[in-house]
Amino acid sequence: MSTTETGNSSTTESAVSGLDYEETQLTLAASGASRSELERKRGFSEGVDLSLETKDFLSGSSDEAPISGAGEPSAAKAQVVGWPPVRSFRRNVLKSCTYVKVAVDGTPYLRKVDLEAHAGYQQLLTALEEMFSCFTARNYPNERLVDPVNGTEYVPTYEDKDGDWMLIGDVPWKVRSSSNFTGNIKGFGSHVEAINKEELEGAISTIHGKHHSTENNLDVCRFMQTASLMKSSEAVDLAPRTPTGCITAR
Amino acid sequence: MTYFPEEVVEHIVDFLGSHRDRNAVSTVCKAWYQVERLSRRNVFVGNCYAIRPERVMARFPWMKSLSVKGKPHFADFNLVPYDWGGFAQPWIEAAARGCPCLEELRLKRMVVTDDDLELLARSFPNFKSLVLVSCEGFSTDGLAAIATYCRGLRELDLQENEVEDHGCQWLSCFPDSCTSLVSLNFACLKGEINANALERLVARCPDLRSLKLNRAISVESLNRILARAPHLVDLGTGSMTVNHHTEAYHRLINTFLRCKSLRSLSGFWDASSCCLQAVYPVCVNLAALNLSYAPAIQGDDLIKLICLCFRLQKLWVLDCIGDKGLAAVASSCKDLQELRVFPSDIYGAGTTAVTEEGLVAISSGCPKLNSLLYFCYQMTNTALVTVAKNCPHFTRFRLCILDPGKPDPVTNQPLDEGFGAIVRSCKNLRRLSLSGLLTDKVFLYIGMHAEHLEMLSIAFAGDSDKGMVYVLNGCKNLRKLEIRDCPFGDDALLKDVTKYETMRSLWMSSCDVTLRGCRALAAKMPSLNVEIINESDEADEFQENLSDLHKVEKLYVYRTVAGGRTDAPDFVWIL
Repeated sequence: MSTTETGNSSTTESAVSGLDYEETQLTLAASGASRSELERKRGFSEGVDLSLETKDFLSGSSDEAPISGAGEPSAAKAQVVGWPPVRSFRRNVLKSCTYVKVAVDGTPYLRKVDLEAHAGYQQLLTALEEMFSCFTARNYPNERLVDPVNGTEYVPTYEDKDGDWMLIGDVPWKVRSSSNFTGNIKGFGSHVEAINKEELEGAISTIHGKHHSTENNLDVCRFMQTASLMKSSEAVDLAPRTPTGCITAR
Repeated sequence: MTYFPEEVVEHIVDFLGSHRDRNAVSTVCKAWYQVERLSRRNVFVGNCYAIRPERVMARFPWMKSLSVKGKPHFADFNLVPYDWGGFAQPWIEAAARGCPCLEELRLKRMVVTDDDLELLARSFPNFKSLVLVSCEGFSTDGLAAIATYCRGLRELDLQENEVEDHGCQWLSCFPDSCTSLVSLNFACLKGEINANALERLVARCPDLRSLKLNRAISVESLNRILARAPHLVDLGTGSMTVNHHTEAYHRLINTFLRCKSLRSLSGFWDASSCCLQAVYPVCVNLAALNLSYAPAIQGDDLIKLICLCFRLQKLWVLDCIGDKGLAAVASSCKDLQELRVFPSDIYGAGTTAVTEEGLVAISSGCPKLNSLLYFCYQMTNTALVTVAKNCPHFTRFRLCILDPGKPDPVTNQPLDEGFGAIVRSCKNLRRLSLSGLLTDKVFLYIGMHAEHLEMLSIAFAGDSDKGMVYVLNGCKNLRKLEIRDCPFGDDALLKDVTKYETMRSLWMSSCDVTLRGCRALAAKMPSLNVEIINESDEADEFQENLSDLHKVEKLYVYRTVAGGRTDAPDFVWIL
């Protein structure tokens, strides 16, 4: 269920543009759970039909996914009013934890969605549809950087601590600065570790116009003043994670 | 009875502090009632609807300190609709008319408006202390009124309130002549603060001992503030985003070095591990530490910090401390009395949460532990039995297993025996919260052994009405009972209706009580207010076509001498 595909770029591009929405598998995972660790996958309709009866998840068995809380229980728990018994003040302070990663097979990167921002399953599904429809409608939420030479578009992505490629921008800056953001911004064989909002902003501001030769063996923890955008179609070639074919914008 | 002149009785009664003792004295005879009421200075009203404010003011005209509580406890978890009630206005108005000596007001879970605060500030020239806990309905404009008119203010303590931000000018409203502040807590404010005004205020209040800042205060500002107030005993930091390479960070270390009186630390908003070294100098003297708003402080850095705090008595942390961290606490903090472990990941399942192991470690290392709030993913009966044996001094024991109705994962049994061991061993237990898979048996144990239990919280537990009846029959000192999502119905509710007159309140939501049962209770007990909260859209339908067998969504029963309340919204029916 990984989005990595081997093969030449023409097939991957057609795979991306020919995305059949109904056929994609949707998974929800708590932050910190790598997708490759999840054994269970839930189809769209399974997710919608999820019963909210408390009895149902009371009988949750231990032979579910090893990451307990991934998939069924986590979404259902979000619906039980007043549970766990934590005051709203405290909930709001730790709000950044309500973001979950969403992966859709065949799309080049993952998205993050705030469970608390949606009143119910229907609203959540609508939001997710909008998030992932960009692959057919070519409607990027962020600034569109276009290479004037060949017209390819770029979106800013980063590799988070689980090794997943995430679109920059889903988690609001305000939240970002309050959580310990230790994602990496992929560069030419270098990893950038941004510890806070200032450093991350610095990294992105140097995205435009830098050209670097491939470098290997760089210290993961060192802050480098380089980062690059990944061509969205090439983002599909995620494994292995050597940046063959990474091109800087402009 | 031997005759005592009034002055002698007065003198004796003056020594009585506790409400219980004074209440007892006042029932002896009319003369003693009079003496007591005119000498009472501290009045505590546990339920704002139990008595009308005018009566309180008439009885205690010379009161100096008033404490009132409004909404039921489950309002903290969004189970009580927004405009249910609990208005501070009638209390402040009545006090303004009847009690000119009022100096201190403490309100919990009440709706307080800016007008209320302005009336308060203008009515009492000697006003000294305002404490608002979990209140809402006011803005920074109300705080401006307090700052402006309360010339001798000593304490402004805002704990976890919902405050609307109308700007940062309120702090500047403290006049230059205000030099009396001892305690200032605005940690719950969401907006910006005029840092200059704050620094000047701190500088001119030499008696300031407790200061809790909000997230808007930077480290630079904290440095300047602490430089002016090195005698602080209790500090809540502002935002602690500081890179340890910066000058601000180095200055912070020096600042803390000079704070020799610091005994309590909290705040740590946006703090990451790299700022912790700055507080090392004060760790050795700390009695209380609250890191529960700092999810980024984890692992070894957290453990290293806590191990320096060997005099710690009170610790609030997030569950990312892990069992390993709790073991470190157990070996370092031998004087620990209160521990709260909050969940950091409310919606998913974290990988570094705490389990029964952490709790067992704490219990064996910290025998003085008497107050616990513990959120965890699992608990075993064996662990609870061990904890009960190690720590017989619990007065407050609240365990929240995040998965409702989860059994002991090792034996797959309910946790009846574990909690049973707790209530048997802890003879002074006053407050208990249960969770996990529980049958009626645990309630039998509670009824049999929890003699001093005053407050019990139950969720997703029990098999039948018998469970609730065991508790109502057995716990002689029960004051507050709150139940959600349990199979208790009308039979349990109506088994012993006079019991509710001995309690402050009963809350039942998502249980099996029906309208018929509630009506029967209301009919039998006119001294109780039986409130039904029905938020469903079909509420109008039910108005006309009330089906007796309709299950009641939320039931709130409380004893009162005030009769039915007149400020209830449409969705609250008082039967």
